[in-house]
Amino acid sequence: MAFEKILTRYTNIPNYTGTIDEYIAHGGYQALPKALRELQPADLIETVKRSGLRGRGGAGFPCGVKWGFIPKDSPKAKYLVCNCDESEPGTFKDRMLIEEEPHQLIEGLIISSYAIGCRLAFIYCRGEFVYGAQVLERALREAYGRGFLGRNILGSGFDLDVHVHRGAGAYICGEETGLLESLEGKRGQPRMKPPFPAISGLYRSPTVVNNVETLSNIPHIVLRGAEWFASIGPPKSAGPRLFSVSGHVERPGNYELPMSITLRELIFDHAGGIPNGRRLKAVIPGGSSAPVLTEQHLDVPMDFESLAAAGSMGGSGGVIVMNDTVCMVRVGEIVSRFYHHESCGQCTQCREGTAWLHKVLRRIEHGQGRKEDLDVLLDMCDNMKGKTICVLSDAAAMPIESYLKHFREEFEIHIRGRACPFEGKGAF
Amino acid sequence: MPTLKIDGVEVTVPAQTTIIEAAERVGIEIPRYCYHPGLSVVGQCRMCQVEVERMPKLAIACNTPVADGMVVSTRSPKVEKARRAVLEFYLLNHPLDCPICDKGGECPLQDYTLTYGPGESRSVEEKIQRVKHKVLGPHIVFDAERCILCTRCVRFCHEMPKTGELGVFSRGDQSEINLFPGKVLDNAYSGNVIDLCPVGALTSRQYRFQSRPWDLVRHTESVCPLCSNGCNVVLDVRHRQRGEELLRIRPRENQAVNRWWMCDEGRFTFTSLHDPARLRVPTWCENGRRAEMGYDDLLLRAARAIRRVVEAHGPEAVGCIASSRQTNEELFLVRRFFREFLGTPHLDFRVRSVQFQASDASEDGILRRTDKTANTRGARDLDIRPGPGGLDVAGMIAAASEGRMKALFVFEEDLVRAFPDRPLRQALGRLDLLVASSMFSTETTALAHAVLPALGFAEKEGSFTNFQGRVQKIHRALTPHVASQSLPEALRDLAVDLGRDLGGIEPEQVWAAIGERPGAYQGIAWKDIGDLGLLPEES
Repeated sequence: MAFEKILTRYTNIPNYTGTIDEYIAHGGYQALPKALRELQPADLIETVKRSGLRGRGGAGFPCGVKWGFIPKDSPKAKYLVCNCDESEPGTFKDRMLIEEEPHQLIEGLIISSYAIGCRLAFIYCRGEFVYGAQVLERALREAYGRGFLGRNILGSGFDLDVHVHRGAGAYICGEETGLLESLEGKRGQPRMKPPFPAISGLYRSPTVVNNVETLSNIPHIVLRGAEWFASIGPPKSAGPRLFSVSGHVERPGNYELPMSITLRELIFDHAGGIPNGRRLKAVIPGGSSAPVLTEQHLDVPMDFESLAAAGSMGGSGGVIVMNDTVCMVRVGEIVSRFYHHESCGQCTQCREGTAWLHKVLRRIEHGQGRKEDLDVLLDMCDNMKGKTICVLSDAAAMPIESYLKHFREEFEIHIRGRACPFEGKGAF
Repeated sequence: MPTLKIDGVEVTVPAQTTIIEAAERVGIEIPRYCYHPGLSVVGQCRMCQVEVERMPKLAIACNTPVADGMVVSTRSPKVEKARRAVLEFYLLNHPLDCPICDKGGECPLQDYTLTYGPGESRSVEEKIQRVKHKVLGPHIVFDAERCILCTRCVRFCHEMPKTGELGVFSRGDQSEINLFPGKVLDNAYSGNVIDLCPVGALTSRQYRFQSRPWDLVRHTESVCPLCSNGCNVVLDVRHRQRGEELLRIRPRENQAVNRWWMCDEGRFTFTSLHDPARLRVPTWCENGRRAEMGYDDLLLRAARAIRRVVEAHGPEAVGCIASSRQTNEELFLVRRFFREFLGTPHLDFRVRSVQFQASDASEDGILRRTDKTANTRGARDLDIRPGPGGLDVAGMIAAASEGRMKALFVFEEDLVRAFPDRPLRQALGRLDLLVASSMFSTETTALAHAVLPALGFAEKEGSFTNFQGRVQKIHRALTPHVASQSLPEALRDLAVDLGRDLGGIEPEQVWAAIGERPGAYQGIAWKDIGDLGLLPEES
């Protein structure tokens, strides 16, 4: 069955630049008047609930349910914050969405703000996305110019202002409460939960934090209905999803597909397979935090449930493909270096554990491993999981655990041979 | 109120109580580093994790409210493993300089490691090296290697003095506590970070390398004498070659007075107790020549002089200026001696405007008060004021300068300095007898016929009444100099020389007398005054 692209349907048109005129000419900003004129906020929340849309940032939490947590009777201001701090290694879909189709996000943001009663929304943009932030700023000016933002939007009486806030270069600010702290001008450190942002978020007010891709789906759900959206892909993982495929494939890039797609189809049919006749060795299906999968998992569909059942996770949709030249110890060293560098440092296990993981893996990769190291690593991972304020600690431990589970022998060869057996240490 | 079970012990606590607080009520200490009852909760150290039935993950006891029917385990295998892991993580980069660390011996990191921690390290990686001694302010030195980033110090500075000098800089295992640019840790309460620090990262510049905790032979409970708040303190004393030495003053928790804190002035201003310039021996001055003299001789001469004055001019020619630095017991005996035995109405203690106008107030909304003496309230409660027809301090000075006042006693006050605009030298110079007690030579003692060495607060037993009216005990931490007597001893002997019996002078005996009298302290016995003091209205 041919899949109809939704989020990226115009971006493939030659010379499409995503300006407001082009977006409107291709049918954009039709959901906004429909939502404001025909639908009550409660209807919108209900529609999004029925659509089955799940968060595309990593956790896959049902979007409509999240909106429903916003207290209706709170006298406080309500905020919508778009999480555009895309930093998960192997993930580059939000960047494409803001650079190439910013108005789709803005339209989704306005409708979502209307749904939860927000009058002031923020787009927290990863600091490195300089161009993306410029595109968003320009797009917001255009939207203000057409009366889609500001006072009394389209005569509906609904007001909304949107600010773009650029981050300062911390992965942890993509964690929603770390993001809120950062947005408030504080150190980007995740908060203890509860309370969750829906009750006490930005400036201690009810807040929804949604990913760029999640919000970009909203106009389509409003225009074409919840049932249409729910019919795309598997029932519990409805709607299109952008997969960022990188690594050892012929055609790396973003692929918009239903989540019923299997790893095999994604890698071999869409991304063109493994170049130079090499064999596939390992694939990380949901960003660097996701446990690794191997050839035996190629027929697993890319929905949240199936990937969890296979021992990994859908995560951010970043699919990292590795061929048989890749050293998994080196991968572990690189991945753990990232988490070592990005741990905010407030929780003991994460601050110390991410560094220790990195140091041990580096030692093994450089031929100074000891045979007791592997059990220490596994125990360390166990001690890091599920015990901290946010899941960065888990995200650092889970992949390493999986590399040891699937490739333990490779680690042992490093230790026994006192060297990395791979030529050129190819990875990423 | 929810009822829950902690390690099999049932406890009922108000809703919103956290597990860590509930456990405390039944005597179960859950180990913690970042949690402190006086600071905001951040849940970062992860040391206080406990297992709660039907919760999938371990919960941090500091931030998990109790619920009815909750079943908590603080020592399950899962908890013990998690705790051991936290300690192992802490020790990865913690230096093993315990043998030269001030905290060694009273260090929660040592204690918890011994109780809950791993026996040895599994790490072979090099420890991160950081700055070992950075002066943060006039009182505090920082060792970044020892720091475990509990952030108690950071939160304290933000939340108590609200000066916010400290912050966490960098991230991950590069995180370090430091001063914000251009700041110095010199707020009025900075010393509290020393007590708060669960390791030896923040140490006292004054106490640094002075002692090991086990060499502190005495931890005497007392009360700070430097303002009317009466912060509860502990006096840590060490024996040294030159004798006992008070090395450290720490706050003692009293929720009704100072909670867990004390100010830097109270904490660090005690070295005068050991000042070699202190007066130790009584002196008598006659014909412009001052000589050391034993108490017996000196008190006999004073008694003779008093008798001469009273016989020639009546008791109204005698006056006494007491001090709100004196204990309740001293003040009571002073009053008995002068008002009852000698029969003079001229008794007062108010030499400071803050006492005279009763304008004692909070200095900063925290602890410090504007009356810089400990016992103004006690002096008021014990009626250390002029009797009918009696003169106040200014009146006594005027009477002395006019020659009506012939004998004056001045205890622990430097009148000359207290009233710089009055002709004190001329007035005091006219007296037949001036008796002054003081810890140090002052312009007043220079004019006195008899000078009695005064004891410091750490050398006395007794009580102060703070501004609230709370009677709080002070205890003797240091043995007074062999040549110095306490004021009650001197007054007792002087009374004997005058043919009177002052009664028992031990605090317990004095309180037996105080409690018999109508007044604020009626019915109170010495033993009624507990470790946290006694507020008469409450009893």
